[in-house]
Amino acid sequence: MSQDVAAAGRRRDAVSGSDGSPVFWGRLIASAPYRALMALIGTSPTRQFVLLAALPVLWVLTQHLGPMLQMLRVSFTDAYPVAVGAEQNFTFDNYLRFFGDSIFWMPFFRTLTFAAVFTFCTLIITYPVAYFLARHVSPKNRMLMLLLLLIPFWVGEIVRTYAIMILLGNTGAVNLALRTLGLIDRPIPFMYTSFSMGAGIVYLTALYMLLPLYSALEKLPKSLNEAAADLGAGAWTRFRRVTLPMTLEGISSGCTLVFLISTGFYATPVLLGGPSTTVFAETIAGFFHVAGDEWPTGAAFATIMFFAALVITFAFQRVMKALRKGDS
Amino acid sequence: MTRSTRIFMSCIYWAFVLYVFVPLILMVLMGFKDSKFIGFPITSWTLDWYVGVFEDAEILSTFGYSVAIAVLSTAISVVVGTWIAVVLEGRKFWGRAAMFGMTILPALVPGIISAIAFRIYARALGIEPGMGAIVWAHAVHNVPFVVLVVMARLSTLPKSQIEAARDLGADPFVAFLRITVPYLVPAIIGASIFCLLLSFDDFVRSFFLGGYEPTLPVLIFAKLRSGMSPEINAIATVALVLTAVVGVWAERFTRRTNKEA
Repeated sequence: MSQDVAAAGRRRDAVSGSDGSPVFWGRLIASAPYRALMALIGTSPTRQFVLLAALPVLWVLTQHLGPMLQMLRVSFTDAYPVAVGAEQNFTFDNYLRFFGDSIFWMPFFRTLTFAAVFTFCTLIITYPVAYFLARHVSPKNRMLMLLLLLIPFWVGEIVRTYAIMILLGNTGAVNLALRTLGLIDRPIPFMYTSFSMGAGIVYLTALYMLLPLYSALEKLPKSLNEAAADLGAGAWTRFRRVTLPMTLEGISSGCTLVFLISTGFYATPVLLGGPSTTVFAETIAGFFHVAGDEWPTGAAFATIMFFAALVITFAFQRVMKALRKGDS
Repeated sequence: MTRSTRIFMSCIYWAFVLYVFVPLILMVLMGFKDSKFIGFPITSWTLDWYVGVFEDAEILSTFGYSVAIAVLSTAISVVVGTWIAVVLEGRKFWGRAAMFGMTILPALVPGIISAIAFRIYARALGIEPGMGAIVWAHAVHNVPFVVLVVMARLSTLPKSQIEAARDLGADPFVAFLRITVPYLVPAIIGASIFCLLLSFDDFVRSFFLGGYEPTLPVLIFAKLRSGMSPEINAIATVALVLTAVVGVWAERFTRRTNKEA
């Protein structure tokens, strides 16, 4: 190593100043503690890599996988946290409880249905916007117009949920506008329904759909559409036979993201929904507001929800893949 | 494409712009209403609600609390995320795909499930609900975003620069510090700001892992449950302005550095 430093010094380089004397880095390399440390690490690339990778692997296993595994483990026990002197036993009861009472599985299926419907709504709403941006706007203005849409999405979940509450309330802007126009006499009760919840969730997730769609549409060569037009395809046929199949991948990743995010909302359904729109997140949360012995049930329900969301997402991606293959 | 379809498409775009902006604009306006009742029309205006926010010690300390949590969790996420990215992008190794999957797992777990899992795990680790628990949960949740951004940047690092540094006497560690790290700086800054905003805006993890002291979104949520008031609008508007300004600045910053690179 000292040879290296000497060589480096002559060449005015990474570890030396302009006059050839070792600067900070050269002195660092030459210093005794640093050399001791390097001797400890060794020169074998495999050994170096193992040392480098050790902490990240440990972090990912204990911090990323750990919470999920612990949740899974707790879901099969009868008490958590365990009371002093008590025993923790293995049980399936937490899972059986889910199927035993409609108060549990109703919100579960409602959540999945809502998430699917809201995801579809988000897709329908954002596709034309992404299409317009990627295909009709000049590249110069495109970035600006996209940035304009990004601004509201920097604002947090709670603040935007509250904004929707103000928009849709009985004395909200929509009702005021409708009344001023003379379309209604009494305010329409938008709030605390699945409509207000949907408006909120679409509002919160639109960006996660818009960006994948936009990048898929942007990559699509214009020549394909022109070729289709030359072959006599009308606008609708071109969209159905060329644009849509070519952007299935963007649709697939956008829908996956939005679906997963939609199933996980807690505050938005609490604030925008009503008694008839209770979602599974509220059911799960309920077990954690009360005494500790309900935690295992909450863990089991969260596990059920996670696996259901995963299975649906996988199935959806398989279908989309099959569609893509079928078209090409 | 005919002219009328083009006009129709641009109408859809501007309608969408209205959809994403109007609720926020209305929310901001409502904070200036000189009345306790949320609702339109607004007949008289006042700044009192904003003055109230800046005079309320509890709200100000909540702001400080949220910012402190955001800064601490971001510092952890950035160090850990960059480290993981360097390992993942460095060379092929057995289990790399599995490690990548586990790395992005926290970003894919739906919010409520992630909060519950963290809550249970915090108990197992002996972390009491409160600032430490929130910082930890935010840090873990934000690591995947740092990894993705830094990995994208790392993949464009010209290997020749590292080789040149090695030829000139730098050992791998010094080459990393003097070539790789400066090259990563724009990505790291971009990722940091993204993490700061994610943490500052996060509700569900802060709600389930928090102690008695609320973060800003938790405070707004608690106030909303006991009734709407222009005071909440004023708090929310201050938070909105803060996040939007930081977000827009970050967006411009990343675009500028991407152009230079």
